[in-house]
Amino acid sequence: MRDLLASPGTGLPSLPLSARLKEMADYLAAPGAARLTEEQRALALGIARRLVADVAARLDAAIDPAALWLDWIEGGLPGADRLAAPCFARAEEHRWREQSALRAAPPRIPSPEETAGADEADGMPAVDAPMTDIDRGYLALQIADRRRTDALGNPCIAVADLDPDLFRALLLDIAAWRLVELGKAGAEAARLGDAVRAALAAQAGEAGIDAAAARWHRALEAEGALAEAAAATIARHDWPALIALSAAAHRRRYGEMALTLLTAETAALPSLLAPLRVDRMALAPLEASLTLLPGRTISGGGAADEDYASLLAARAERVAPPPDGEA
Amino acid sequence: MSARIVRGRIDRAGTLVSADAPLLRLQQRAGAGLEKPLALPHLARLVALAQRLQRDISRPLHAADDHSDVHALVRIIPDADGASLEISDWRTRPVAQPQAPPHGTPPAAAGGWSWECDARLRLIALRAGVGAPPPPAGWEGRSLSELFELQPDGDGHFAVLRALARQAPFEAQSARIDAAGGRAATTLSGDPLFDAAGGFTGFRGVAMPADSPREDASGRSLADPAFGSLPLSDPQFGRRIDGALRGPLSRIIATAETISGQFDGPIRADYARYAGDIAHAGRHLLGLVDDLADLQNIERPGFKAARDEIDLGDLARRAVGLLGMKAEEKGIRIDAPRTDDQAPAYGEFRRVLQVLLNLLGNAIRYSPENSLIWIRVDREDDRATVTVADQGQGISADQQAVVFEKFERLGRTDSGGSGLGLYIARRLARAMDGDLVVDSAPGQGARFTLSLPARD
Repeated sequence: MRDLLASPGTGLPSLPLSARLKEMADYLAAPGAARLTEEQRALALGIARRLVADVAARLDAAIDPAALWLDWIEGGLPGADRLAAPCFARAEEHRWREQSALRAAPPRIPSPEETAGADEADGMPAVDAPMTDIDRGYLALQIADRRRTDALGNPCIAVADLDPDLFRALLLDIAAWRLVELGKAGAEAARLGDAVRAALAAQAGEAGIDAAAARWHRALEAEGALAEAAAATIARHDWPALIALSAAAHRRRYGEMALTLLTAETAALPSLLAPLRVDRMALAPLEASLTLLPGRTISGGGAADEDYASLLAARAERVAPPPDGEA
Repeated sequence: MSARIVRGRIDRAGTLVSADAPLLRLQQRAGAGLEKPLALPHLARLVALAQRLQRDISRPLHAADDHSDVHALVRIIPDADGASLEISDWRTRPVAQPQAPPHGTPPAAAGGWSWECDARLRLIALRAGVGAPPPPAGWEGRSLSELFELQPDGDGHFAVLRALARQAPFEAQSARIDAAGGRAATTLSGDPLFDAAGGFTGFRGVAMPADSPREDASGRSLADPAFGSLPLSDPQFGRRIDGALRGPLSRIIATAETISGQFDGPIRADYARYAGDIAHAGRHLLGLVDDLADLQNIERPGFKAARDEIDLGDLARRAVGLLGMKAEEKGIRIDAPRTDDQAPAYGEFRRVLQVLLNLLGNAIRYSPENSLIWIRVDREDDRATVTVADQGQGISADQQAVVFEKFERLGRTDSGGSGLGLYIARRLARAMDGDLVVDSAPGQGARFTLSLPARD
């Protein structure tokens, strides 16, 4: 892209100009495609910022995340291509859940007369009450899911859920920034190298949402309760639970599955959720909820690059005059 | 300070012809939509003002709907075909609904924890707010009543159990928890959560450190029937009265402005004026509620302001931009710092802006018409300073000794302020390792100087 945009003899364009031209080139390449809304951009950027701060804190508590982010914002995020999909997926999932919660009808609050006989619960729910594997799995899933928001309720990506390659790349990029900031190499480089290895080892030992999803899925399958539970997640608009079950069923990562579901055409939903054995009618709330999400990206609908030649050929066949003797 | 700008476009007839999602959502919640008249009275009034003056105006914007109160800054750029809107610093505060639970996680207040539990009170989230100690390890899945040792109230009841039975919000549940410095007293509050099928799924709330253990006897003697059994000294009381007043006041103001602006059709001029008076008084009361909320926040032990990298020159110019129109209405000229006048400092962006708005607002309020207010930024050793000087009647030495006291209005009885602004401003300055001082003499105007740690 850079080669394309640099005119001979003028040197490389500035970062803002280069970014604008790249945006323009992307637009010209697909003028009919919907663009990101400001809300989508802001959400994804916020998610990226929180992720960078979390990873920096794991690498070195002395790193000033604000200074790091400011430098990266001015110079462009290293590995932006790698960050795009997870940040976009988390942002879209957040929008979906927010919209779903806003549209949900407020529950009926019982009148005081109805609760007169139940002025106080009989006692605290028993702490040591036995839990089934299914309950334990769902509890672990909820805990893993809630780690994906910060203390203010903003969406974020938990480090435990991060693709190890992306985590490693982020650690190395931040370590490189830290070295430049400190202006010294040698011992500091060795210390940061150790910190990178320690952070990677710590992450490898953490159970994130993928492990929780797989555990719950296994428990449900063992009890033959998978279809019922999946249908219930749809009825309750418990979208993270549905994404988790689908991801486990397809043996894919949660983030990938979220993006697949969120961008799926309505007609593709039954086949996507087929491994959960959900009744077709039970999918209606899911279809409705996705349809109502404004600015949703629908995958498909455009010819892939490799199909372009066949598309042209097909069009040529349609307009070509019939061979002599026919028609 | 959020850099995101929400944009919109109004045509000459006052119709909203385009809007970014947040603005459109607000318009829809007010019962209108695109290609419909702007249904947000405060914003509509500002648009009308900008169109009448045919000049850009920047003002704070307040709006309210069934879900939240919205505070933002709006810039209105009028032109021949209507006006363009640029709304920044959009902040939403959920309104507690008596019949419906709020959506989204309540922010973990400074010094507290936010938490969420399932229907069996097992903790599924526990996060520390700014300045709060980290949660204890191994909280995941533990019972709320196990992690927080819940304490019964004076009648032997537990607020959380009552809320569990009723699936209703609860407040003022006293608890104790093992913290880094020993056992700490905590107060829990929470809202019930429901799924789309109406099923109860748990509670979500905050745990705030209790300032001191509650004395049941004094609690009962100070109880106000309008606010349950909370004693007046309890921080929860302040939060509840804040929430209880803010919603109705916002609606009174919005409705009065609708009537005053005659947005729904012409009415008698004196009636419109009365409605304008109601809106004015409502805004004053809302300002007082804001001040009281601030007061309670900054007087909390351990209150700390953020240490942002700021430029006092930039903040002074922003304050002038926000209050410039108000000064012009009195023919007052503000001599603001030039764009290349900088005073880099450390302080919390919003709090410093709040202090400067208070100082400049006072200067405008108490300056004679057609006078001059000047603002200068400077640096003295390790302190960056900003001075707001006016040509008002000045403050005597005796008055200077008390001007920073709570509810001190120097004998003034007009409806211009609560008497809390300067007290709050000085507390904020000191919380940022700075100070606020006054230098004045009768008949010679007043000079208020805010100093903060300088930044290289």
